[in-house]
Amino acid sequence: MRKKVIIIFAVFFIILVYVTFTSALKVFQSGIEIPVIPAEDKEEIRLVLITQELDTPFWRKVSKGAEAQALKEKVSLEVWGSYGNNKEDFLKKLDVAIHSKVDGIIVQGLDTESFKELSKVKAASYGIPIITVANDVPMEESLRKTYIGSDQFEAGKVVAEELLDQMGVAGQVIILGDQEKEYYQERRLEGIQSVLKGYPEISLLYGSTGDEKEQIISTTQQLMNQLPEVDAFIAVNANHAGLMIQEIGRRSQVEPYHIYTFDDGSESDSLLAEGKLDGLLEQSPFRMGEESVRRVTQWISGETVPLDMQGYLTGIRMIESAGSMK
Amino acid sequence: MNTIQKKIWGLVSVVLLIMIIIWLTLTYYNQKTQEQYNDILQRYIQMNEVTSVSDQVIMNLNNYLIEPSAAKKDQVNKSTESLRHVKKEINELRNMENTFALTNYMNLIDSLIETTERTMAFRDQEETESSASEFTEASRISKYISELTLTILDNELKTYDHFYRDIIIQSKELKKLGIWLLLLITVVLLFITYWVSLSITRPVHQLTKAANELSNGRFDQSITVESNDEIAFLAKTFNAMRININRLISEIQQKADLEHELQENKLLLKESQLRNLQSQINPHFLFNTLNILSKKAYLDGAEETSDLIVSVAELLRYNLKRLDHPVTLSEEVIVLKQYMDIQKARFTDRLRFNVEIDPTCLDVLIPGLSLQPIIENAVIHAVEPEEDGGTIWFRIHPGKDFVFIEIKDDGKGMPLEKINRLLESDRIEIEKHSSGIGFRNVVKRLQLFYGKKNLISIESEEGKGTSVHLKIPYKQEEGNHD
Repeated sequence: MRKKVIIIFAVFFIILVYVTFTSALKVFQSGIEIPVIPAEDKEEIRLVLITQELDTPFWRKVSKGAEAQALKEKVSLEVWGSYGNNKEDFLKKLDVAIHSKVDGIIVQGLDTESFKELSKVKAASYGIPIITVANDVPMEESLRKTYIGSDQFEAGKVVAEELLDQMGVAGQVIILGDQEKEYYQERRLEGIQSVLKGYPEISLLYGSTGDEKEQIISTTQQLMNQLPEVDAFIAVNANHAGLMIQEIGRRSQVEPYHIYTFDDGSESDSLLAEGKLDGLLEQSPFRMGEESVRRVTQWISGETVPLDMQGYLTGIRMIESAGSMK
Repeated sequence: MNTIQKKIWGLVSVVLLIMIIIWLTLTYYNQKTQEQYNDILQRYIQMNEVTSVSDQVIMNLNNYLIEPSAAKKDQVNKSTESLRHVKKEINELRNMENTFALTNYMNLIDSLIETTERTMAFRDQEETESSASEFTEASRISKYISELTLTILDNELKTYDHFYRDIIIQSKELKKLGIWLLLLITVVLLFITYWVSLSITRPVHQLTKAANELSNGRFDQSITVESNDEIAFLAKTFNAMRININRLISEIQQKADLEHELQENKLLLKESQLRNLQSQINPHFLFNTLNILSKKAYLDGAEETSDLIVSVAELLRYNLKRLDHPVTLSEEVIVLKQYMDIQKARFTDRLRFNVEIDPTCLDVLIPGLSLQPIIENAVIHAVEPEEDGGTIWFRIHPGKDFVFIEIKDDGKGMPLEKINRLLESDRIEIEKHSSGIGFRNVVKRLQLFYGKKNLISIESEEGKGTSVHLKIPYKQEEGNHD
């Protein structure tokens, strides 16, 4: 009896000791510390990539490329941006970046006065290099160091050639673009026109619209009313393609029309996959990101001074929809 | 030695030690947690300070622009100075996550300071327009700063989210630990207290039990106390006392046994001596009697022989019967008379025998055949050698404590040495003459029978005769008669 009691007591005691000990370990060994990392002495090159379309797959790829390159170059990079073409927020970010005295700004070009004012006056006065990526702004107006991205004129040409290829040398084409025509859109348009103007039987109708959903829809309707016999559509601003196609679909079948756009829209990829687009001009966003970081780092560290003013072009190619006629 | 006091001190120190250790650990732990909390709070306070100070700068700058004065300029400068100071502090908040934002933050502060200074410079040069635009710039930067503060705070929360959760979990764990620790300490202390108290009380119990046994007279059980404190010492001395008592008791018992044995031996010896002496009488007597019988038969033919033989037979029977037991004096007297009849038959008128007996004395008990040898001696020494015989007086008269018996003859007497030799009962000397043994035998028997010496005395004068005096006590000494 006494032995039993002693054994029970001992077991109880051992369990108690074990539990207490593990509990104490938990409390004292977790050693939570505030993650304080001492300030690094070496001055890292701080870059900012600013875009106004953080939500599109295209720009995500650009950011990825830039981040990958930044890691390679051992520079710190932050991707800032606004969602859904919020220009005001975008410009504020740029302003903050300039006041924050970052070492280099990689920015999606915006062909507006305030953008040019910021880049030309402020950034220059702080001595911060600005390079544009994907969307260019003329060098004279912005004092950008260089441009990394596709040759938009060439892109326009490729689209036009594809159009000719599929539609033939005669037909009516509606081109939809922004009201505030940005430089890159202009270049695309110029590219298209430069090809199509050799074919007198092809007539072009250019329509401009605002960014609002209603504006896009009404502009599309308007254009289709103006040109009921239309054969093809080209959305110079890829973000307009979705709504445009939606509107076309409400009138008739989408299939018979030749519809083309570029890959920097938020819906571009899905539209192509659904077969609503006949062709998509694909650029190299990842490469752009990489290249931009590489170039600006080179400039800052003084390896390549000056950069090529004309810009460093990245590849483009045409992707045809699987379901297209050709 | 492990004293009880030491044990109690030990227990108290263990309790104290446990308490101190726990207190120290918890205090240290609390201190650490407190510091962590302080650090966190400090971070937030510093960041908030940046915003408020930058607001302060803008406000002062505005005041200065509206109404430029030295005092206001001073205020602006002061606030920019504190902004610089805050910036320095902010630098210490740097960590892996916020390096970029923090650098931006600090550069923004720099920009604000620069813009502020430019604004004031323009104002001083009366370039109102430029100064106004610079002021707008400054206030915008200040806005950026407060926005960035929020962003950094937000990041801070994200970065330290894990840390905060850890702290919460840890405080919960601490509570649990507290409960477990309390349980554990309670159990440990209960156990130690039980053990210590037992180690104190158990020896006391053992001692109490041992004392009880002792008081009940059981001295044979050894007292063992399994401890090493004062009680054990007490038990040891107690045990020594028990052993001593035990030894004394056994010594006393041994002595008593020895004494008892001695006594018994003595008695046995006495009896054996008595029997030995008595057995010596028979052959002598028989021998003498037969001698007389043969002589008488030779002298007288058969006439008186029958009478003599009767007497002899009587004597012999008495002898055989009474040898072991005390007899009354009267019986002894009768035997004596018969013996004298036999002797008269031998010596005829040469033997004159006078008897004076007080009949009141005849009930006294004496050992059988104790008078006859004395008479026989008298006959042998006083009558036999004389030609015309001799006279023997036999008297019994009472005294106060004793009956006095006197046997007197008118023979040649005997020297003093012989008297002494006869009376020395201790020395057993075998004499060729049979009567010598007979007399000494009597002396010895009387002595043994009554347990007293000097009951017999001899007076003798050379040529005039010898008288033997016997003192027979009325009462026999108790315990000596067996």
